[in-house]
Amino acid sequence: MLTKKVKKRVSLLSLVLILSVISIFLILRSLTSNILYFQSPTDIKNNNDINFNKKMRVGGMVKKNSITINDKEIKFIITDFDNELKVSYSGTVPNLFSEEKGVVAEGRLQDKKFFVADRILAKHDENYMPPELKEIIKKDVK
Amino acid sequence: MISNLFSMGNYGFFVWSSFFTTLLVCAIFYIRTRKTLKKYEKEFAKEIEDLSVEQKKVILENSKIASQVLSSYNKSI
Amino acid sequence: MIKFFSNSNIFFWIEKLTNFINSIFFIVLLVAISFALILSPPDYLQGDSVRIMYVHVPAAWIGLASFFCIALLSLVNFIFKIKNFNLISKSIAPIGLVFTCLAIITGSLWGQPTWGTFWVWDARITSMLILAIFYIIFILSYKLISDQKKADKISSFVAIIGSINLPIIKYSVDWWNTLHQPASIKILGASSIHSSMLVPLFLMFFVLILYCALIFLMKYKTEIIRIKKKNLKRL
Repeated sequence: MLTKKVKKRVSLLSLVLILSVISIFLILRSLTSNILYFQSPTDIKNNNDINFNKKMRVGGMVKKNSITINDKEIKFIITDFDNELKVSYSGTVPNLFSEEKGVVAEGRLQDKKFFVADRILAKHDENYMPPELKEIIKKDVK
Repeated sequence: MISNLFSMGNYGFFVWSSFFTTLLVCAIFYIRTRKTLKKYEKEFAKEIEDLSVEQKKVILENSKIASQVLSSYNKSI
Repeated sequence: MIKFFSNSNIFFWIEKLTNFINSIFFIVLLVAISFALILSPPDYLQGDSVRIMYVHVPAAWIGLASFFCIALLSLVNFIFKIKNFNLISKSIAPIGLVFTCLAIITGSLWGQPTWGTFWVWDARITSMLILAIFYIIFILSYKLISDQKKADKISSFVAIIGSINLPIIKYSVDWWNTLHQPASIKILGASSIHSSMLVPLFLMFFVLILYCALIFLMKYKTEIIRIKKKNLKRL
């Protein structure tokens, strides 16, 4: 059933496909740092050549009871449960910004422990549920 | 209840515009596709009509599609 | 001769199927919309903006699935040269493009109130944009190339290469840090969407699938008539 022509096409196609998959894989590998939309506090801790003047994004969870607000700025702590980073920001935050929720901050590092953000994005998780159910879960945990 | 439906807890603009955009795009896409189909049906029917009587007979006998298009076209006018 | 009969058979079934879908479409649409906008609860965190998901997620699924079909058909067509397959992928492509664009638009309408931005260049969103570009190249390759055989060959090739993008879209949220959340509905394992929100989601998906079927049938019919017309001229 498989004629010679068909076999030739199959081998040509699989060759092209394998080559392109490998090349795309290599391209993506080398671009990883650009594809990562944000870095975690642990990434920053382990990174030894940080350019402090360059804009960057840090993401993680807002630590519980860490948000303090005064008239000038909002301060909070981003954590990935291993390492933490203090963030200072002045401006409006998205509605979904709250404690124990995901957040991405865009701005500049002052030093390895302190980050000044000029934009805050809320990162939503994959859980969707009605409010009543959330209350029930909360009670169960307590 | 009704006002809540419109305001959507202050997300009204985003919810309604996304549903409205989807509906609008789908409607336009549907109408355009239908128009193209009708245009082709019409042209096809016309071409068959323009053929000589013998050719027309041969085609209608051999091609179910041709006869179907022609009959549905004639029905629509 | 066999092909000729199969084509006219298909033509007959297209008519029947179109009539059937037309008869149930508006009822299903009404039910799905009322579930999506009125009967389903708001989310505990996102409030009512969760309703955008009911168009965004099905649109994205259709966008991905369409390209998967096109790639598969192109692959078989490239190897075995089955003419009908090309007609099918030609008819699917515009549908996929429309829904990919809708997914991007509704996604940014959801992103503004929840994330705080319309657009970010994270891996998921960028790869979705690349999918839209592949659709455009695919469609252009048979719109611009007048030589039928050449157009078939090039467009199949575009689809096959573009299919490498599909797993990248699917797993971008797992491989890299993205602003976009990971998948809520998994093929294996429990979904992290509450069942009261899954009902409108699948209803909307069903409606949009019916809509896609209607468009596809019309487009396929157009393609068949186009070919018949060409054959007529040859007589």
